[in-house]
Amino acid sequence: MPLCLSSIFSSLFSSLSAIVLNFLLCFLKDDTSDSDLELSMVRHQPEGLDQLQAQTQFTRKELQSLYRGFKNECPSGLVDEETFKTIYSQFFPQGDATRYAHFLFNAFDIDRNGSIRFVDFVLGLSVLLRGSVTEKLRWAFNLYDINKDGYITKEEMLEIMTSIYDMMGRYTLPSVRDDSPFEHVEKFFQKMDRNRDGVVTIDEFIETCQKDENIMASMQLFENVI
Amino acid sequence: MAAGVAAWLPFARAAAIGWMPVASTPMPIPPQDKRKAQDGFIILNVSGTKFQTWRTTLERYPDTLLGSTERDFFFHEETSEYFFDRDPDIFRHILNFYRTGKLHYPRQECISAYDEELAFFGIIPEIIGDCCYEEYKDRRRENAERLQDDEEMDMNNDVAPLNLTFREYLWRAFENPHTSTLALVFYYVTGFFIAISVMANVVETVPCGTLPNRSKEVSCGDRYALAFFCLDTACVMIFTVEYLLRLIAAPSRCKFMKSVMSVIDVVAIMPYYIGLVMTDNDQVSGAFVTLRVFRVFRIFKFSRHSAGLRILGYTLKSCASELGFLLFSLTMAIIIFATVMFYAEKGSTATKFTSIPAAFWYTIVTMTTLGYGDMVPKTIVGKVFGSICSLSGVLVIALPVPVIVSNFSRIYHQSQRAEKRRAQRKTRLARIRAAKIRGTNAYMRYKQNGLLIDALEEEAGKALVGKSASPPFESQHHHLLHCLEKTTNHEFVDEQTFQANCMEISVVNKSGSRTSSLSSSPHGLSSCCSRRHRKKSSFSLPSTNNQELSTIQIRERPVSNSRSSLNAKLDETVPLKCDEAYISPSMVRLSAPVATSSDDASTATTTYSQSNIVRVSAL
Repeated sequence: MPLCLSSIFSSLFSSLSAIVLNFLLCFLKDDTSDSDLELSMVRHQPEGLDQLQAQTQFTRKELQSLYRGFKNECPSGLVDEETFKTIYSQFFPQGDATRYAHFLFNAFDIDRNGSIRFVDFVLGLSVLLRGSVTEKLRWAFNLYDINKDGYITKEEMLEIMTSIYDMMGRYTLPSVRDDSPFEHVEKFFQKMDRNRDGVVTIDEFIETCQKDENIMASMQLFENVI
Repeated sequence: MAAGVAAWLPFARAAAIGWMPVASTPMPIPPQDKRKAQDGFIILNVSGTKFQTWRTTLERYPDTLLGSTERDFFFHEETSEYFFDRDPDIFRHILNFYRTGKLHYPRQECISAYDEELAFFGIIPEIIGDCCYEEYKDRRRENAERLQDDEEMDMNNDVAPLNLTFREYLWRAFENPHTSTLALVFYYVTGFFIAISVMANVVETVPCGTLPNRSKEVSCGDRYALAFFCLDTACVMIFTVEYLLRLIAAPSRCKFMKSVMSVIDVVAIMPYYIGLVMTDNDQVSGAFVTLRVFRVFRIFKFSRHSAGLRILGYTLKSCASELGFLLFSLTMAIIIFATVMFYAEKGSTATKFTSIPAAFWYTIVTMTTLGYGDMVPKTIVGKVFGSICSLSGVLVIALPVPVIVSNFSRIYHQSQRAEKRRAQRKTRLARIRAAKIRGTNAYMRYKQNGLLIDALEEEAGKALVGKSASPPFESQHHHLLHCLEKTTNHEFVDEQTFQANCMEISVVNKSGSRTSSLSSSPHGLSSCCSRRHRKKSSFSLPSTNNQELSTIQIRERPVSNSRSSLNAKLDETVPLKCDEAYISPSMVRLSAPVATSSDDASTATTTYSQSNIVRVSAL
């Protein structure tokens, strides 16, 4: 009888001490996590206005206005992928825009460091809004080419297409069938892939697009957005 | 983030170039951006304090005053700035809302003033950020309670209009004893009888000495059984009469019967009647004794007489969750420690810890630090756990108690404040009335002077009698009052004359005859004698400001849809909910002719698409 009692006592004591030790450890750990938090709040300054003006085709005023909007949203000067996805998704509430936002993020994040700085942002916009048609087509090609190897494969195109259809959401007319993206990709490749090698190169892409009136017309669409 | 969504729209549109090469159909024509973003400054002059901001900042929220064309009404051409005659300190917060998208509530501002400013500038209070929302809501609630209190007081202090039915009169007398002397007398009499009844219950059980033919002591109740019975009967009769009167007078009998006080009344008088009905046999005497216990509930009838008791009850009700938590944690601890003590003491001889439920008693006594000493552990292990038990008991009980105490203190202070306000109100109203009298006296003088001047003018024919030296504002005001008098064919009088008139009229009314002078306005008769101080609620927000966020329709259209036509002629007022099937709108889309770049269509859609995005950002 005293044996089992003492065993109860010892087990209770050990559990109590374990709890106390855990408590102390938690307090110690808390200090280190704080410092991690501090490191991530790095501020990034863009290059000077003159440099940006030289690099892009925006006027000074336009750059100023763009930066003000950018800085207002991202005071730290950097946009990470999650924030980017959140912002972009707000424009498409009925569908899921995260996948497409991911591709878009990669298209803007030229140096692939996981965050878009203002200079990346403004360079991308400069191409899209003030660039020549060829530059715009190049940008679009860059967007579709997920692994940036210079070729668009059917799989890459299918991913892009699926992400675009995802943004539509469920309620469409006619409703999006499961093979709608695939069919669309087939049509795209029929049009673009000249030599039927299963991939689309940049030259094929630009050549085909320049021959298509609709595409050329729609490229001019967003000239005066800013 | 909400404000910024609008700022990122150009980016989203530019990124749409990514869809162009894969599109299978031609793109729609974009809306013409007529208003090229004139990104200039706007100067807002608020009572002299100048605020400057970009035009685009203000236009982020086009459904507010500053973001819409409504601000043009405040444009001051000479200085080419927008002038607002409002509080600059509060305006600072409003402007910050445009800048950051978050509305903050400054703690040092009065809640009514803040709400008025928000209403003026067309901003919904629900947008207040999480950091300040709680504080704002608390202050709002306090203010609303205060207003409700004042209104209730107003209603209570009204002089009773003559045309109350007897039933309503009775109810008023019961609810508010200060209205008439009879009610006050009744109030005190019932209080007295409650006290008597409770004391009788108590004294009944006191031993009163022995009877001559018995050896043991009898209680006073048995000795003077008849006297106590008579006293009990009298009290119960009074209570019954009171209860029946209240029941008759209650405006809503069902609600009255469900209320706590009426339940207490019933419980207080039922035992007597049941006792009357039941015969004195052994089977039911046990139950009869139990019923007598319920007589002690009469003491709760005092809560009608004492505000403090009501506050205590209200506190306990509002702290129900903390009390529940206390109870739950205590139960858990009791069970744990009772089990441990039982097994710890199992070994020792002749122990009182015969079972776990028996150990409950020990645990409770120890945790509440009572320590009767009728059960004590004998083994060392038992003593160790017994000490842990008493230490933890102190902690477990000490934790929820401050919450309950602070709740009680808050409610108590609130009621104190209500009392103070009531006392201050009288002096305040007296002063306000004095100021009004001064005003009416000035008006009387003006009228007299005016009549005099008119008379003089008539006599002297435009004599050079100067008008009385009152400021132009006042004279215009007086002229206005005069016009009103002429319109309604009534005259303004001062208080004494009014009271005198009322006396006359009431005398005349009592005599039952209606003279011709009174027949002109029979309704005005009763209103003449009743000083209805309908206090206008100055704190009245337009109802639109209180709309829930859910009712803000998200007018969102699939901008990404390559088949959508940005210039589709959709009615602007059609709210498209996001989870609605798009069958109907897309039908409209397909049937609408593809519009050419006609100006009116594009402007309509421009504003539509602008309002489109703005709805999102208003969230």
